[in-house]
Amino acid sequence: MPFPSVPIFLVPAEALTAFAGATTGKLTKHMTRSEEDMPFALLDTFDETLRQSGMCLLQAGGELTLWTADGEVLTQTGVDQPAGFVADLAEGPVKLALACVPELRSLIPLAQGRLQTAQLALLDKEGKTQARARFHILTPDLGHRIAIAQLQGLRGYDKAFAQLQADLLGAGAVPYADRHPLIALLPEHAPYVAKPDLELEADATVFDTANAIIAAYLPVARQNEQGVVDDIDVEFLHDYRIALRKIRSVVSLFKGVYSDKQTERLKQRFSDLMAPTGRLRDLDVYLLERDFFFDLVPQSLHGGLERMFDMFAAERTVAHQKLAKHLKSKGYATEITKLVSLFEAPKRLHRGPDADSQAHDFASALIWKRYRKICKIAEAIDDQTEDEEVHELRIHCKKLRYLMEFFAPAFPAEEFKSLIKPLKKLQDNLGLFNDYSVQQDSLRAFLDGLGTDDHAGNMQLAQSVGALIAVLHQRQLGERQKVVESFQSFNSPETQQTFRDLFHGGEG
Amino acid sequence: MKIIACYSNKGGVGKTATAVNLSYALADAGQRTLLCDLDPQGASSFYFRVKPSKKLTETKFFDDVERFTKSIRGSDYDNLDILPANMTFRDFDVFLSRMKNSRSRLKKALKAVKSDYDVILLDCPPNISTLSENVFSAADGIVVPVIPTTLSQRTFEQLEEFFREHDLPVNKLHAFFSMSQGIKSLHGQTMEEMRKAHKKRFLNTQIAFTSDIERMGVHRAPVIATSPRSAAAVAYRELHDEVMERLGKA
Repeated sequence: MPFPSVPIFLVPAEALTAFAGATTGKLTKHMTRSEEDMPFALLDTFDETLRQSGMCLLQAGGELTLWTADGEVLTQTGVDQPAGFVADLAEGPVKLALACVPELRSLIPLAQGRLQTAQLALLDKEGKTQARARFHILTPDLGHRIAIAQLQGLRGYDKAFAQLQADLLGAGAVPYADRHPLIALLPEHAPYVAKPDLELEADATVFDTANAIIAAYLPVARQNEQGVVDDIDVEFLHDYRIALRKIRSVVSLFKGVYSDKQTERLKQRFSDLMAPTGRLRDLDVYLLERDFFFDLVPQSLHGGLERMFDMFAAERTVAHQKLAKHLKSKGYATEITKLVSLFEAPKRLHRGPDADSQAHDFASALIWKRYRKICKIAEAIDDQTEDEEVHELRIHCKKLRYLMEFFAPAFPAEEFKSLIKPLKKLQDNLGLFNDYSVQQDSLRAFLDGLGTDDHAGNMQLAQSVGALIAVLHQRQLGERQKVVESFQSFNSPETQQTFRDLFHGGEG
Repeated sequence: MKIIACYSNKGGVGKTATAVNLSYALADAGQRTLLCDLDPQGASSFYFRVKPSKKLTETKFFDDVERFTKSIRGSDYDNLDILPANMTFRDFDVFLSRMKNSRSRLKKALKAVKSDYDVILLDCPPNISTLSENVFSAADGIVVPVIPTTLSQRTFEQLEEFFREHDLPVNKLHAFFSMSQGIKSLHGQTMEEMRKAHKKRFLNTQIAFTSDIERMGVHRAPVIATSPRSAAAVAYRELHDEVMERLGKA
C-alpha cells in the first residue's frame, strides 16, 4: 500500500540514464521506459492560477495528470479535447481539484513538447520491489528537459524509500514544492502579471511615478493582445482594457505632470486605443449575464431572452472579427510600439508645472481633495437625491481608488490597506447600482434598435426584455437604498482620522 | 471489514495458491487487503518475494501495536500488503478480535497510517488446533480447497464434524474443487457425489490443475498477475467473485 503522501521531485532528465541498472548496497535499480513518446501540454490559465496554487496540470494521451501542492497526484482519463474551460471537462477527480480556476479563465498550453514515461523499481535480491518511482519525462519544444518524479514507498521498506530519495537528490533533483515544473522547463519564462508591483524611490517625482506606471501597464496590455485575437477567454480583453484605462487615468488624474498639450495628446492617443474595444466588451458582459437574466424572469418569458442572446452572440462574432483585424493591423502595431518606446525613454515627454513635485506630497494633495469631494457629495445624498448624484459619487470613488493604488508604494502599507478595504465595500454597492442601471439602458437601446420586419418575434422580445428591465429597476432601487448606509460604514471616525493622518498632516 | 480464511486440514491441495491469487484478485478489485501468512509450511510470502520477519517470533508481539504494524510489508501490487510470518501465532485470536473491534488500539493505529484494511485474508496452517478454532470463529468465511478424491471427501467431512462439535456455523464453509483433472473420470464422479452430499457447501467454481499454477513458483507472482488471460487466472477471478457474493449476503 502506498505511503499517504507521494513525494514529488523534479529531476534533470539526463540523470535518469545513469540510474538504469545501477546498484546501491543490496538494491538494484530497474528502469522500464515507455517505448513511444507522445505530445504533451502543460496547462494553466494565462495568469497561472494553477502554478500560483502549487499545482501542475499535464495533458497527454487523452489523460490529465494533476500534481497538487500537498503532493497528491490525480489523473482523469478520456480527455481528448484540447484545453478549455474547467466547467467543460467531464466530471472527475482532476476537475474537482481544479475548482480554484476562475470560471471565466480558459486553460491554455503554457509549455508543449514530447512526453515519455518511465518506471523505476528498487529491487532486492529476491526481485522484490522495495521502492519505486514513476517519471514523466518532458522534452519541451523550447527549453530544458526535465522529469517529474513521483516516488512511492512500500510499507515496511522505509530504508529503500529513503535511499531512493537520497539517490534522486544526489542526481540534482529538487523537491516539487521548491520549483514548479513550468519554471524548470522554461527558465526564461516571464509569467503574466495583471497588476505589476511598482517600486518607487522615496524621493520619486510625480513625473517618474506617472511614467513608471504607464511603462509598467503598456506591456500588460500588449501581453493580452494575442489572447484577444485568438479569442481564448473574455479576460484577455478585460485585462487589456483595464491596463489602458489605468494608463488613461494616470494621464488625467495626475494634473500638471505633463504639459497641457502633452496631456491632451496622450489622453487622445489612449482613448483611441480603447475605443475599438468597447462594443466587444459590452457584448461579452451581456453574454456573461445570460444565466443571471434567465433567473430573473419567469420561464414563460425565456423565449424572448433566447432570441436576444442569439442576436448578441451573432453580433459578438462580428465585433470580435473587427477588433482582431484591428489589433493585427499595421496601424495599431505602429501606434502601440511608438507609445511603448516613448515611455521607455520618457525624456521626450513635455513636462508640466508639477512634474518635479515629490510623489508623496502630490499624491497626498490629490487624494485629500478627492476624499473631501466624496464626503461632500455623499453627505448630501438622501432617499430623494437624483440618481445622477449617486453616479457622480461612484466615479469619484473609482478615481480615489485608482489614485490610492497608483501611489500605494509611497505610503505605509498597513494604514493604506485599512482604507482600501472599506472603500472596496462601498464601491461594490455603487458598482451594483451602476450595473443595474447600465443594464436597463442597454436593454432599452437594444429594443430601440430592433428592426420592424419580424413583428411577432419582436413582440416576444419586447415582453421578455420589458419584464427584465422592471426586475433590474427593482434591484437598482434596492442598491440605491443601501448607499447612505454603505457610505457611513466606509466613512467611520477611524477612516476619517486615517485620511487626515496620511494625506493632510493629521488636520482637516 | 471482512476476514476470510483459506483453510484445509489436508496438505498439498492448492491452498496457498488460492490465498495468493484470491488476495491479488481482492486488491485488484479495489479492496484494501492484508494477506497474513500463518502457515509455516506454506509459501504465500515466498510467492510475493517477501522475506519472513525475524522479529515476529517474539512472544509479546501482539500486545505491541507499533511493532505489529511495522512488520507488515507492502507487496508489489496496489492495495495488497503482506504479513509475513514464521511463527506459531499463539495469540492470533487476540489480533483478530482487535482487528474486528473498531475502537481497539490496533485498529486506530492502522487507521492513523491509512492502512486500515477492507479484507484480511488468512493463509492457515493445515491442522485443526486452537489457532484454527479461533480463526474459524473470527472469520466471516472459510474457503476450503478440496481435491475431488475419496480421501479428501473424508477430510472434508471431518472438518464439518469439527464445526458441529464446536458449535461453529457450517455455513461459513465455502468449499471448492481444486486441482481437478477433467480426464480423470473418478474426479468427475467424486465431485458429483460430494455436491449432492454437501449441498450449498460447494462453490460452482473449480480450479483445474494447470501448469500455469505450477509455474507460480518460478515466477514468484500470482498467476492472475503473470498470465491474466490463462484459464487458471480466469478461474481464480471467478472464485473471488463467488466468494465475495456469498460473503456479501452473509
